[in-house]
Amino acid sequence: MKAHSKIASILLVLSFLFLTACGSGNGNEIVIGVISPTTGQSAKMGQDMNNAIQMAVDEINGKGGVNNKKIRLVFADDACDPQASTTAANKLVSENVSAVIGGYCSSAVLPASGVFNSAGIPMVVTAANSEKIPENNYKNIFLLNSTASAQAQTATNYMISNLKGKKIAILNDNTAYSVDLAERTRDAIQKAGGQVVLYESVDPNASDFNSVLTKVKSKTPDATYWTGYYAAGGLLIKQFKQQGVSGSFGVADGSVDQTLIKIAGENNAEGVFATMSPLPQFIPGAKNWSKDYETKFKQAPGPYSALSYDGMRLIIHALEQAKSDDPNAITGAIAKTKGFATFAGPVEFKANGTLTKSNFIMIGVKNGQFEMVK
Amino acid sequence: MNTPFLKNKSFLYILLFIVMIAIPLITNRYWTDVASTAMFYILLALGLNIIVGYAGLLDLGYSAFFAVGSYTTGILTTQFGVSFWISIFLGAIFATVLGVLIGIPTLRLRSDYLAIVTLGFGEIIRLIANNSKFTGGASGIYGIPKPKIGSFVFQSNVLLYYLMFIFVLLAIFVIWRLGNSRVGRAWKYIREDEDAAEAMGVNGLYYKLLAYGLGAMFGGLAGSLFAVKMSAIAPESFGFMQSAMILLAVVLGGIGRISGVILGAVLVILLPEAMRSFSDWRIFLFGVLLVLTMIFRPNGLWPSKKETEEMDDPEPLKGGSKSVVS
Repeated sequence: MKAHSKIASILLVLSFLFLTACGSGNGNEIVIGVISPTTGQSAKMGQDMNNAIQMAVDEINGKGGVNNKKIRLVFADDACDPQASTTAANKLVSENVSAVIGGYCSSAVLPASGVFNSAGIPMVVTAANSEKIPENNYKNIFLLNSTASAQAQTATNYMISNLKGKKIAILNDNTAYSVDLAERTRDAIQKAGGQVVLYESVDPNASDFNSVLTKVKSKTPDATYWTGYYAAGGLLIKQFKQQGVSGSFGVADGSVDQTLIKIAGENNAEGVFATMSPLPQFIPGAKNWSKDYETKFKQAPGPYSALSYDGMRLIIHALEQAKSDDPNAITGAIAKTKGFATFAGPVEFKANGTLTKSNFIMIGVKNGQFEMVK
Repeated sequence: MNTPFLKNKSFLYILLFIVMIAIPLITNRYWTDVASTAMFYILLALGLNIIVGYAGLLDLGYSAFFAVGSYTTGILTTQFGVSFWISIFLGAIFATVLGVLIGIPTLRLRSDYLAIVTLGFGEIIRLIANNSKFTGGASGIYGIPKPKIGSFVFQSNVLLYYLMFIFVLLAIFVIWRLGNSRVGRAWKYIREDEDAAEAMGVNGLYYKLLAYGLGAMFGGLAGSLFAVKMSAIAPESFGFMQSAMILLAVVLGGIGRISGVILGAVLVILLPEAMRSFSDWRIFLFGVLLVLTMIFRPNGLWPSKKETEEMDDPEPLKGGSKSVVS
């Protein structure tokens, strides 16, 4: 009788699980899904995003909600894992959410965005920024963080327009991310009428970059742009100054870290420019918000907290515009967003769901600290 | 001739079969997705069961074969426009070839060396996927088309669930037949005592390679199905944790017994989902449950008959009840 009773009990457990799984919200609330990693290696990032989203929702619910309805958040953990992410996405769809916000790892967002697309639910991605997400051409997936091509464009604009540079050298560290960004920057510079005088890969584990810097020096560039990470970046800056190479030195977001300045030395790092995502600590307008966040959650906002907060505000704005919580109406309203004010500037979307204007900001080293360039 | 008990049992298997068919019809999207994940985990666990359960070879890098199947389908269907059906076939072949290649030098060794080599092998495959251009690097491959027959496309979750269900049924049948065949007996002989098996004229290396290659083949098959279900794949899915979870499914349910392995695979997927309401605690609770299982049922929840006979089964075995298990 053993197997008999076992199969019967398995059936019982299964049916119990399926029965308890059903059930959804009532008509007096708007359900918004949050998909982010709250377990695994990126758990901290997910929690930072969730806090900021909760903060935006608490604010609007405190004012009586939107369209006379309160917003209720449903959190789903994607663990930054593609497999867990599709399950989490299907769970949110089953809970009849009107819209979804979140998404930290691109590899988890890619399969989840397919689920939301087939279910016709809009998703505002507030951190992940792989070029592959817009390439799917899903009409209801919106990226609030700019992609690599936007960073390349921001760097190009700065070097060509602000620095009045013509001859530009680009260095990368041969990792996929760095090479991708370097290639996009090279193309953008050539398109903007600049001249790429040198395009080189360096070994990021080396400690002596003098041979490549001698090459750079001989080309007398107006600006040199490094797309790799801070450890090698700091040494490059130090030896760049020691060799007395012409022009300014710039780094991409992978190098924006206080360690860069420490390795390079404060004097050498002075005046180095950088392209960076709009972190709250670099934006003057976000100072008060950061303080509020800290009082509420007893910790400083994370790198993507400000973007997640703005993303939730964007969804609330779309709900107001659409005067409805129907997913299609919200998708339409988000797509039609015009000049919606966020910490990183006004937001509008292209047809593929990416920002019309890059949200990358220019920062520079001043007195041993990164500061916004104006 | 047979007792009512056996009839009762086949009745229950039929009932289980009907429930599995009905799941997408009576539940929502979320549970259909969980059930499909469970289906492909069953396929993976059944494949690994040939290696670990039948032949007694400890493999800590099984997700490598799973990755090969996934990437074969991912790359062939998106870059070269190959049909899914050809790609799943090729994925299984590549996985088998890779399994045999890695097996030839290592299967001559005893089990613990094999475990270390397979652990390294699993990491190598993941790192290649993470760093190569043709695998799409860290964010992987996206836009993998759904399988189709003529103009009929397996577009929805429900259809994909049934597709996986068919593969699982086929796998159960094949593996059950294999386990009861001469080959299956040779595997079990090697598992119990390799020297004695060799002395009796069983070619150890040949049968171990056969087990390893067949296990890899099922891993490749599951990988191809995973790729079309997910529509986007990335190296994160093929790490050591994945290998450990598949092994866990085999060990938890009961090594070497098909129904036990299926139970293990279903539980490994279902338990974390059922505990979602505990949010951050669920991984911890899952761990506690596993430790308790291993303390109180060290041979798995539903171990294979042989162990049960020796260990703790007070029930005397009668006529028909013997024949069902693998």
